[in-house]
Amino acid sequence: MERKTDLTRLLFSISSLADLGQEVSSAKDVEEKMRSALYVVTGMFSVPRAALLAYTPRRRCMEVLAGKGVDAAPDIRLCVDAVHLKSFPMNELVACDDLAGSPLYERNREAFRRLGTKTFVPLFAKNECVGALSLGKRLSRNAYLRSEKDALKAAAHQLAITLQNARLFLKLSEKVAENKRLYENMRQIYLDTIQAFAAAIDFKDDYTKNHSLRVATYAAAVAGDLGWQEKDIEAIYIAGLLHDIGKIVIDSGIINKRDELTTRERDVIRTHPQVSYSILSKIRFPWKNVVQFIRHHHERIDGGGYPDSLSEGELSEGAKILNLADAFDAMVTDRPYRDRLTLEEAFREIRRCRGTQFDGRISDVFCDLLRKEMDGDVMQARILPQLRKIGALQLEPAGTLYEA
Amino acid sequence: MASNFTLSMKAVDDVVVLVPKGYINDLGAVRIEQASEQYFDKGTRKFIINFADMYFINSIGASVITGIVNKNLEREAVLCFTNMKKMHRDVFEMLGITKHVRVFREEGDALIFLHEGE
Repeated sequence: MERKTDLTRLLFSISSLADLGQEVSSAKDVEEKMRSALYVVTGMFSVPRAALLAYTPRRRCMEVLAGKGVDAAPDIRLCVDAVHLKSFPMNELVACDDLAGSPLYERNREAFRRLGTKTFVPLFAKNECVGALSLGKRLSRNAYLRSEKDALKAAAHQLAITLQNARLFLKLSEKVAENKRLYENMRQIYLDTIQAFAAAIDFKDDYTKNHSLRVATYAAAVAGDLGWQEKDIEAIYIAGLLHDIGKIVIDSGIINKRDELTTRERDVIRTHPQVSYSILSKIRFPWKNVVQFIRHHHERIDGGGYPDSLSEGELSEGAKILNLADAFDAMVTDRPYRDRLTLEEAFREIRRCRGTQFDGRISDVFCDLLRKEMDGDVMQARILPQLRKIGALQLEPAGTLYEA
Repeated sequence: MASNFTLSMKAVDDVVVLVPKGYINDLGAVRIEQASEQYFDKGTRKFIINFADMYFINSIGASVITGIVNKNLEREAVLCFTNMKKMHRDVFEMLGITKHVRVFREEGDALIFLHEGE
């Protein structure tokens, strides 16, 4: 009978250690993995109350990472000094009676009581303490046999390695989070710098204050409505902010001229997309196609635009969007040579130029989006607030846009 | 990985019968603990676990059963195991679990025992 039980125990221990290996190497998250591992160990020795504690050297304490039968007390913490740990054998069982009187026990008497600790196993990986296993009394009420102590030691070793890996993973995750924060900060600085450039561009023209910001906003709104991905929407937003950077090299007298431009002056003005491209093509943007969108923002789908006279098939969707956003903002703001159009007139103009200057689908998306914003059918209006800031909405009853 | 474990329950007068089915080899089996806990809270003190449809139990399953047995002991409830296969019986005996429960060949035998005990 005894031999049969020994054989059953041996087989159960071997199979349990295999279970433990499977649990700790599974793809579960750390807490679930450790909980499963704790259940394996408590099942091996029929222990109803147990806890797996993780050691944090910085805080010099062990905290419950997984518990069984101690769930109501997740705040239990053992204060541990390095000197406490050296007095225990690595990954080996320490009976509660042997623990009593030790500095570790005396300092944490209440925590041990709450954990119901009858057996304590300090967990070490590569000579470094990573935690401990607290086991309550066994249901069998039996002392651990030699073979059970060996099985527990093997299990403790696996738990220790798993805890150490979890700790390394946590450190790595913290590093990744830190890098992500740094990246976000740098990205924000980058965006702020670009916005400052945009403000500098618009400052040159008395009539186009915040023009770049508005073009960027309109273009991003249309791209979003067309289902573009977040990163690509950001690219067209940046393109919108920088599309007129080439105007920096153009004489302010030409830009702000009230009378009709001469052919030469018009030619000078028309160099700005190419100049913008030349300035920006030296920059390695983290977004794709920004410089192409900018170079082609004055192209027309009928091939009558500049600087490259590209046809519809040769133009990217981004360039077409930027073209419409730029033209629309020019329509609804005052210019040195003409007053602004009303929204209704601007809509009529977009419709008139649909299929010649502007892409048909993009024109429709833009007009629909603005109507939806005016009707309050969108979660967050993006075009409307800009129009409100420039006073373009004051004259417009929403319904007239449908007629246009 | 989906759990290969299901649990059905029935109340026979003041006795609750838990019938685990499949493999008690992952934390899905904690449902047995949770189910018995709910019945404890409602005042049930007589339980049967019928192992007829349970094929395999590993250390995690043994841990779950250990937890239930311990709670029964703490609350002075009566727990009966029935329809155990030889493998279950060997493991539970080796772990000292059967010291604390009443073991019957069939569920009906356990129900008679629990009802007569009133």
